[in-house]
Amino acid sequence: MAIPISQMWTVSSYVLKNKLLGKKRYPLVLMLEPLFRCSLACAGCGKVQYPPHILKKQLTPAECFAAIDECGAPMVSIPGGEPLLHPQIVEIVNGLIARKKYIYLCTNALELKRRLPEFTPSKYLTFSVHLDGLREHHDFAVCREGTYDIAVAGIQEAVRRGFRVTTNATFFDGADPNSARAFFDEVMRMGVEGIVLSPGYSYEKAPDQTHFMGRARVRRLFRSILSNRKPTWKFNMSPLFLEFLMGDRNYECVPWGMPAFNIFGWQRPCYLLQEGYAESYAELLATTKWEEYGVASGNPKCANCMVSCGYETPAVMDGFGSWKGFVAMVKGNFNKYPDAHALKMLDEAAPHAPAALVQIAQPVEEALEETRA
Amino acid sequence: MTAEVHKYTLQEVEALEVAPGTQHENLEGWNPQLTSDEDLRGVLDKALDYRGDVTLTLKSGERIEAFIFNCQSGPTLAESFVQYYTPSASEKRKVGFAEIASVEFTGKDRAAGKHWEDWVKKYNEKKAAGETNIGLTPEALD
Repeated sequence: MAIPISQMWTVSSYVLKNKLLGKKRYPLVLMLEPLFRCSLACAGCGKVQYPPHILKKQLTPAECFAAIDECGAPMVSIPGGEPLLHPQIVEIVNGLIARKKYIYLCTNALELKRRLPEFTPSKYLTFSVHLDGLREHHDFAVCREGTYDIAVAGIQEAVRRGFRVTTNATFFDGADPNSARAFFDEVMRMGVEGIVLSPGYSYEKAPDQTHFMGRARVRRLFRSILSNRKPTWKFNMSPLFLEFLMGDRNYECVPWGMPAFNIFGWQRPCYLLQEGYAESYAELLATTKWEEYGVASGNPKCANCMVSCGYETPAVMDGFGSWKGFVAMVKGNFNKYPDAHALKMLDEAAPHAPAALVQIAQPVEEALEETRA
Repeated sequence: MTAEVHKYTLQEVEALEVAPGTQHENLEGWNPQLTSDEDLRGVLDKALDYRGDVTLTLKSGERIEAFIFNCQSGPTLAESFVQYYTPSASEKRKVGFAEIASVEFTGKDRAAGKHWEDWVKKYNEKKAAGETNIGLTPEALD
């Protein structure tokens, strides 16, 4: 597992402390969305389909700090929208670092190289760069050619300057496991600390899509991708969560573990569903009907979800909350998960590369200037 | 979650090969006639899911252009409210169900035509036509 010891110590002591205190529900990661505006227009995205007056709104640094101070999570993920479009993102990041929070700033990296001089490398700050696969796959996924090369240049510059960098990829139905594995080789060569990955999920606010992978298909895909691991691969995720994706473990959804806060308030019940908002984390905990969510509830909206915002928290709690879980987690760090059947699945997987993108006339920098305006 | 929604069993969930995607109604331009409290609740529920602005007409006659992001439905209309942003104000606002006379879906549906399948179709068509300017960029905010 590519996570520094100081971060593991912070998280493990936090989990143990809450366990000793007998707390039933507590947050592990605050999903802090300071804005929904983005410099990309990915088809199917559920976070950017808002009227312009909503896309222009953003959280103030004070609102961000009040949210983390109230919930007390040891880690903060900053998705969006594109956080680097927020004019006060440096102030927000520095305020979180001053609070000793481990930050994952999720970015498409189109602005990363230009903005890096404004940030200071810290063990608390990780740039989590959105890359959905190799060049053609990524450019097709984000609906614009040239983005992969810009993102990679941003990654390389961030690594060179001593920042912590991970990549994060979402795999949808039809993903080619062989290509995913080649992508892992490629990003590790870039010098990143580790890889973050997730199965796709339908955001309620997203444009309609015909279907998503069900659990059986998700497990088959991740078993073929994550078995027979190469020694160079490192993952910035709980090994137990990866085993969950591969179908080796079962967890129940823990939506309060990664609460989402944005311009609307505290999102109910999780980062993916939008069934109202609470004014405070305490109100979110007290007034959400948690029993109506997660696989065990039978709620069809939760039926295909295996996403980290619901299922990585129980994996982390399992790993740091019991000796049995801890031993399994340590073993998971060294296990290459040899699996002959998974190798056979890789052999049988048809190549699934998208058609080559043609050159897009409008340069990406020009499009970015329009977005900044 | 309403009672009529099909609940999956654990066995069904674990065996799912594909899960149905979200299907939204085409509500842009809709001006529903509200004849009962239940009508109002149902329309406000749709307004919460709508990816655009609506226009609320209050019983006082005031008209409000609003993006509704929260809908708290209580036992009575007096105990129920929606929260919204307007294009002209920076702060969140709230109005009770009991004050609302009508709801019109006047704003553009911001997700319409932006399906993944739309992008793939558009890309393939443009490529087949020999076009070289294929790609999506964010809409202008002004």
